[in-house]
This record gives sequence, C-alpha cells and structure tokens, in this order.
Amino acid sequence: MITDEVRRVLLTAIDLYPQASEVLRRQLVRLDEPLRVAIAGKVKAGKSTLLNALVGEEIAPTDAGECTKVVTWYRDGPSPRIVQFPQGKSLPVVRRDGALEIALDGPADRLVVDWPSQSLRSTTLIDTPGIASLTTANSLRTTHFLSPEDSPSEADAVIYLMRHLHSADANFLESFRDQGVARATAINTVAVISRADEIGGGRVDAMISARGIAGRYRADSSLQGLCQNVVAVAGLLAFAGRSLRQNDFMALTALAALPREELESSLLSADRFVDGSVERRALLNRFGVFGIRLAVTLIRQGVTEPSALAAELVARSGLLELQKVLHTQFGERRHLLKARSALLALDGVLRAAGDSRLTGAVERILAGTHEFTELRLLSALRSGAVKVPDAELASRLLGDEGAHPLVRLGLPRGSGPGEVGQAAFAALQRWQRHAENPMLTRRSADACRVLVRTCEGLLTREGARPPR
Amino acid sequence: MATSPQRAIELALAAIKRYERPDLEQRLHQARARLADDQVRLLVVGEFKQGKSMLVNGLVGAPVCPVSDDVATAVPTVVRHAETPVVTLVRAEGRTEVPLEELPRFAAEEGNPGNRERLLHVEVGLPRPLLAEGLVLVDTPGVGGLSSVHGAATMAALPSADAVLLVSDCSQEYTAPELEFLKQAMAVCPNVACVLTKTDLYPEWRSIADRDRQHLADAGIKAEVFTVSSTLRWHALQTGDQEVNTESGYPPLVTYLRKKVVAQADLLARRSTLHDVLTVIGQVVDSLRAEQTAQENPESVQQLIRELTEAEQRAAGLKERSARWQQTLSDGVADLNADVDYDLRDRMREIVREAEDALLAGDPQKIWDQFSVWAQQAVTSAVSANSVWATQRARWLAKKVAEHFDSDREQMLPALRVGTSDPLRSVPELAVRESDKFGIGSRLLTGLRGGYGGLLMFGLIGSVIGLTLINPISVGAALLLGGKGIVDERKRITTKRQNDCKVALRKYVDDVSFHAGKDSRDMLRGLQRDLRDHFTTLAEQLKRSLTESIQAAQKSVKASHGDRDARLAEIKTELAALERVVKQVTA
Repeated sequence: MITDEVRRVLLTAIDLYPQASEVLRRQLVRLDEPLRVAIAGKVKAGKSTLLNALVGEEIAPTDAGECTKVVTWYRDGPSPRIVQFPQGKSLPVVRRDGALEIALDGPADRLVVDWPSQSLRSTTLIDTPGIASLTTANSLRTTHFLSPEDSPSEADAVIYLMRHLHSADANFLESFRDQGVARATAINTVAVISRADEIGGGRVDAMISARGIAGRYRADSSLQGLCQNVVAVAGLLAFAGRSLRQNDFMALTALAALPREELESSLLSADRFVDGSVERRALLNRFGVFGIRLAVTLIRQGVTEPSALAAELVARSGLLELQKVLHTQFGERRHLLKARSALLALDGVLRAAGDSRLTGAVERILAGTHEFTELRLLSALRSGAVKVPDAELASRLLGDEGAHPLVRLGLPRGSGPGEVGQAAFAALQRWQRHAENPMLTRRSADACRVLVRTCEGLLTREGARPPR
Repeated sequence: MATSPQRAIELALAAIKRYERPDLEQRLHQARARLADDQVRLLVVGEFKQGKSMLVNGLVGAPVCPVSDDVATAVPTVVRHAETPVVTLVRAEGRTEVPLEELPRFAAEEGNPGNRERLLHVEVGLPRPLLAEGLVLVDTPGVGGLSSVHGAATMAALPSADAVLLVSDCSQEYTAPELEFLKQAMAVCPNVACVLTKTDLYPEWRSIADRDRQHLADAGIKAEVFTVSSTLRWHALQTGDQEVNTESGYPPLVTYLRKKVVAQADLLARRSTLHDVLTVIGQVVDSLRAEQTAQENPESVQQLIRELTEAEQRAAGLKERSARWQQTLSDGVADLNADVDYDLRDRMREIVREAEDALLAGDPQKIWDQFSVWAQQAVTSAVSANSVWATQRARWLAKKVAEHFDSDREQMLPALRVGTSDPLRSVPELAVRESDKFGIGSRLLTGLRGGYGGLLMFGLIGSVIGLTLINPISVGAALLLGGKGIVDERKRITTKRQNDCKVALRKYVDDVSFHAGKDSRDMLRGLQRDLRDHFTTLAEQLKRSLTESIQAAQKSVKASHGDRDARLAEIKTELAALERVVKQVTA
C-alpha cells in the first residue's frame, strides 16, 4: 500500500534528518488525517457559501461585503470548538439563527473550527480569503497559504471558485500547479463556476446556461492543463436546499399561491420583492431571486412536501454533481493525494539538506507506483503534452471519471467479472496494438504502454479471467 | 434662449459677406463643419459579464449590443445617431453595410469567436433623441483582469473618449484592478462615472454602493456613482411603466449624460464657436475702426499707418519659422520625442530585467507558456501606458504653444483689440486624430501578434529539444546510471534554453519598441503639423486684416471732405450692425 511505503520513508527520514523532524512528523500525522481540501477563489466568489452548502450548516460566516479575512479550517470534532492561531486561544462558540459567529480576538493568521459533522469526516475543508482583494494582506495570506514559496502546500487539493474565467484566476491556478516531485499537474484541482444562478440574471433556466458555460470551460485547452473538471454550482441555492425549514416552505407556498402577475411584477427586482417586509427580506437572503423563482415554480408544478422541494433544489443547484466530482477526483484518490503531499514535503527537506541518500527511495515510490504514473499521464493528456489515439477512452481508463474498474472500462453498473475481464482484455489488446504502431511518436507509444499496464492491473486485480 | 452655435455662425457669415474676406469665411465654414461633426464619445468599460451591453441597450432602448449568459461582446460596438437604423462593419480595409438582423453574427462572441472576422468595430446608427444630441456610445468587449491585452487596448482608446462609464455589478465591491483602472482613467479623461448594475438581483446593493463610494473616497477618486437595473429598465421600456422606469435608476444616469457629459461638450463647442465668431467679427471691426480713426483725424493718419504697418510686420513675422511659437513647438516636439522614447525604453528595460530573472530561476521550458503570455501582457501594458502618457504631454504642449501665440497677438495689437481671449479655446482638438480612434490599440496588437507568432514557434523548438528529457524512460535510465551524468547534461541543456529564451525575449521587446517608437513619433509629427498649420492660418488671417486696415487708412488720406463724411456715416452703421451681431451672439 502506498501509504505504508510513504510512512516507512518518512520514518527513515526522521532518523536521518533530526533538524527537520518536526516537519516530517507533521507529515506523518497528516497521512492518517482526513484529506485537506482548500476552497479558493477571487473575493466574493461565494467560497464560504459553498463551504456551508457542502457541510449543510451555516458554519462559515457570510456577508455582502468581503467577509473571510483569515484562513479558516473546518474539521470534524467531537464538540464545537474554535481556536485562534498563532496564540492558540479558544474562542467562544456563538450561534445566532443557526449561523456561527466568530469574533476574532486580536491579530490571527488562522482559525481552526472543530465541528461535529458527517460531511467533514473524510475531508477537512479550508476556507480562504479571496484573491484580488482590495486588502492586499488578505490576498497575500491566501496565496501564501496555497502556494508557499518555501514549504509544500498545506492543502492536498483545491476547489477553485470563479464566477467567470479572469486572468487573475488563471494566474492563481497556475501558481498552484506544482513544479515538485510528483510532476502531476491539475490532478488536485477542481474548478467551480460559483454563483451560477446569477449568470442568466436569475432566470429560471439560469442553471442550464451555467452548465453550458462549464462545458465550454471544460473543453478550453488553457483550463484543461490547470484543473481536472469544471462544474457549475449555485451555492446559495444548494445551502438553502440543504437547510430548508418548514417555515421557509410555508412562506414559499404562500408566495406560490399569489396571482401569477402580482408575483412576477414583485419579483422584477429585489427591492420590489422585499418592499419593507422583514420576512421577505430574510427569505430573499436565504434563497436569492433565482431560488425564490425556482422554488415557486416547483411548488406550482406540484411539489407539496418540504423534503421533496429540498431535494429538488439541491439537485438543481449542481451540488450533487460537485459532490460526485469531489468523490471521484479527491475521495477515491485520497491516499494518493496525501502520499503526494507527504512526498512533496520530504522532497523539500531532501533538497534543503542537499543529501541524496533518500532520493532513490522517493524516486522509487514515484516511479514504481503505477497510480502516480497514471496520474502523470492523465495530466499530460489533459494539458496536451502527450497525444494518444482514442484520447477519451484513455482518460477514462486512467480513472478520469472514477477509479472503479467498471467506470474505467465504461461498463454498466453490476456487470459481472466475466464482462469486466472481456472488456479489460479488449482494452489491453487495443492499447498493445497502439503501442506497437510505428507511426506513433515515442512519447505516445510510452503512454500506450502505461495504458497496457493499467489494463493488466484491471485483469489481475478483479480476478477476472480473459475470455478463452 | 441663447443663440445656437450654428445660428451664430450664420449671422456672422451674413455680416461679413460684404467685406469679401474669403479667409475669414473659410474659418467660419470650418467651425460649422466641426460643429456638425461634433460628437461626444462615451466609452463603456468594465470587466466582462458586468452588464455593459445591457446598459448600452437600456440607454438607447434597443437591443443593439448582443447580450448572452456567456461572454457576449466580441468587438467594440459604436452606437451613434442616424435617421434610419443602419449597421456598418468597420475593417482595416474599409466599411461595409449589413442588414440589421445580421448584427449578432458579427458583434457577438458566438457568431464571431475571437473576432474571426477581423473587425475593428461595428457601427450602429439609430434615430434616438439622446444620440441626436451628439452622444456616441462605445460598448467595449469585457476586460478580463484589466491588465490583459484587451485591457491595454481599452486604455489606449481612453484619451480619445470624452467620458467613461466604468460598469461593475452589485454582487461585490470594487476589486483592486478596477480601482487601478479608475485612477488611470481619471488622469486622461475629463468625465468618469461609475455605474453599478443589476440592482434587481442583489438585495444588498445599497450597502455595496456605500462601500464602493467609500473605496472611491479612500482612493481620492471623485466620480459619481449610479446604481441601475437594466432588467427593470427593459421591462419599463416594453410596458411603458413609468414607476418601474424610476426604480430602474436610469433617469438620473440619462440626466447626467445629458446635463453633464453632452452639455459640457456642448458648452465647449459653443465657447470655441463663439471664440471663432468673435475673432472673425473682431478683425473686421478692427479694420473699420482703423479707417474710422483715419477718417476722423486725417492729421494723425500717417502715425496710424505707421503703427499698423509695424503690427502687420509683426503678424508677418508670426508666419516665419523663426517666430517664438514655432520655436516652442519644434523644441517641445523634439523634447517630447526624446522623453517618450526614453520612457518606453525604460519600461522595456524593466520588463526585460524582471523577465530574465524569472528565466534564470529555473528551466524556462516549464514556464514558457505562462511566461510568453506574461511577457506579452507586460509589454502591451507598458506600450499603452507610454502612449497615454505621450498623449497627455502632447496636449500640454499644444496648450503651451497656444498661450504663446495669444500673448504674441495681444502685444501686437495694443490699441485696437477689443474683447478678451482664452488661449485654451483656440487649441484645436488634436488628440483625437481620426485614424487613432481604435488605431493605437489594434495596430499594436497586430504588431504583437507577429512577434508572438515568432515566440510560439520558438517555444515549439524548445519543446522538441526537451523531448528526451522528461519521458519516464530517461528517468529510469538516470536511476540506473546513478544520476550524475544526466544531472550535468540537464544543467547544460537548461542553460542553453535559458540563453535561447533570453535572445527571443530581447528580440521581441526590440521589435515592439521599434513599432511603438514609430507610432509615437508619427503621432508627434502629426501633432506638430496640425499645430503649425492651425497657427499659421491664424497668423495669415491677422496679417490680411491688418493689410486691409492699412489700405483703408491710406485711401482716407486721398478722400475729399464730402466723401469722408459719407464714409464715416457708412462705417458707423456698419459698426453698429456688427455690434448688433456680437450682442446677439453673446446674449
């Protein structure tokens, strides 16, 4: 298992380099911790809102103005607790209307929030201040956190939020793209088109447009080398759906009962809708113009249960899609990503020491672990550095859409070992043929050999027999 | 009701007709042509997806700019007045008219991705009262991060604009690049206003607007802030609902455009026309007065003639190359040329230094893609900053020369001059040379493209060299061989690549400097020629007026007593008539 190998190397390294033992020990502990996923993006991209939606509770404070000023870690814990660093001081846990309120006590460089939550069990989420902020210090804090100049990144993976692709976004993604040992690029980044509901001016079909734009970005070659996938998510709607309360539902039902013209006229603008009413204002803040339009439409179409409405809102917000992508890109590769972070850190120590005793061991893990080779090839394919015939099949086979053999082979769910064997064997033959094709360049042929190896792995791992 | 500038010109033309002064008439005709051509260019700028096109559509009440959920505007759209709706495509080669419904095919990103059609801009003519007042709206493609190539083109178009609207939506406060852009815009453009759009979508728009005002105040930017909702405006336009229209926030913006932007430009036009009219009439009056004086006091005629002759010689001197203003102009242009050149070189050197540091820091092959884009952007924004600065300096020089000229004239005509003059008014609109409207930016870009193509090719060669280095086989070989040899080899190749990249970079920067330097020299030469022509014509008119005065005075010497009285009476009525015109015009 790769984690064990990495652990062994780390332990050896601790003995060899006592001066760096603290850094290395931290990496050791980190190997057993949940995956660290940072949420980054420009100011007001909706990072905290998305974090709340992913967790399902309002634990990251949100506001109309620039809000997140300190890098904040949200991790699973037995009881709610907030600790402010560098002082290591505990802060009082205050909740108002379900929202967590954090009042900083003096200058802070990071906050750690322990929160008992199912969603945080396998991943620790890290909220970061926006880049391109008017307060340069906040921006710098994020840039430093995600791509520190001198030490490997604290995060294992990044969800990058953007409203539209700006050059500032591309720069940032580039700086996060690592130059270190794993040489794998873009494998640990997922881009999200956030606030997707606002794209079409809050029309009911806004999400369709947003998905179209996400599709275009996915095909954009400049982004392909920078991130794994692009998903459109309406964070506010997702959170509203996940935390839908009975009284919200009642209010929405009442709205749906209004005459169509009256409602349409009042939904022309936020001001018209609120019209001095406190309840309506609260509703608007929770759902947004798009959320209200969508919810009312759904209720009119016959959704009668709060749970059904909540499910429908979450489904339409694109959150499920994001969760699925996070699962396949990050969750299934958890060990790999963590091992990679640890190796990056170790590599830094080795370089600093100018010592080559362990270089061989690190190199062996990197070159000898087929998963790393797969990731490298995957990112090379994405960035266009390597070209193979049937590129789409190749990406899927390498685990672009999920690590499960059925997904890799493009088989329907529930296929038996016989079918898996058959498909894997067919794939094996295909790639062997390509690998021997004299028309291909050497790099492409090498890539085909990696794919052959993957097919062989699938055949042996599943105990599937090739057809006689 | 004040006399309109057009009417004032008509009156003046009628009044001076009998004096047969084609040079003065010519000047009035020119003023009239300038008035007819007078436009107020309003540049609508901002990052993309902020609602710029919707704003323009809302202002003119027609879907002239393509609007889409995705990035929509591909090329600048210029909306101006026309009797009937008309769409014209403007390419470097010429202009073509197309049917109205084909507009989206050319202006929208969807129909014309990456400006495949190679249009400079699209012109839309519409019959609208707001446009009839001379307002021209320019919808620019969105700028992704205002330092990008698009952004540099927008910056280059700034000095030619009369007003700028910075559009950003209410979803968030100003970002650092937006404020930076505002600061630069304020430096080169007289009227800058901020428009916050999409108030219908964001319940918190008031607090966002307050924060933005605070940011503006902190940055020391004095610009008005308008909050609008294009959706509401559109709804109001379709239903005719006045209440919704008020809520949309458009009325104050339209008022601002009318009262402040258009009216200010109008005032400027009025002032300069008035100046022309008064000078022309003033010259005629001067001749008449001289004659009057001569007729009234025949004994002092010789004295007067002497004075006038001296003045005439001075006026003739103004036309000479040795005139003071000529010297100021040629010295100024020479200085400016040197300064602009130095500034450009300095900026480029800075870029080269920074770039070389980056190249030396590692293997250039890995960063080449980003690096070449960065270099291109840095060079583009340096060139556009340089050209903006040059334009500012050129304007200043024009004012300087005008001051000179005017003070010369004051000295020259001590007794006879009436009325005041403002030297600034006689500065012609130099900065907006027609060819430069979108010229600087786009020409620059094509120049860059050429250079960039070379770079790309070079980058490809680089990757071919590097091919054997990064494939896994050679990594394995490295492990087997113990690593030492391959490390040395890698170092050697890296150094070679670094040197190659440095050469490519220097060549690119050299090319750009060459083209940009040519551009700015051309601009300055044009400026020099324009100013010289303008002031020489003025000097000529002055000289001719003085000559006429002298002739009139000499004639009076020979005239008989009876003739003299009759002539005096004539002059009196003529002067009265001219004064009436002056009164009418200045009322």
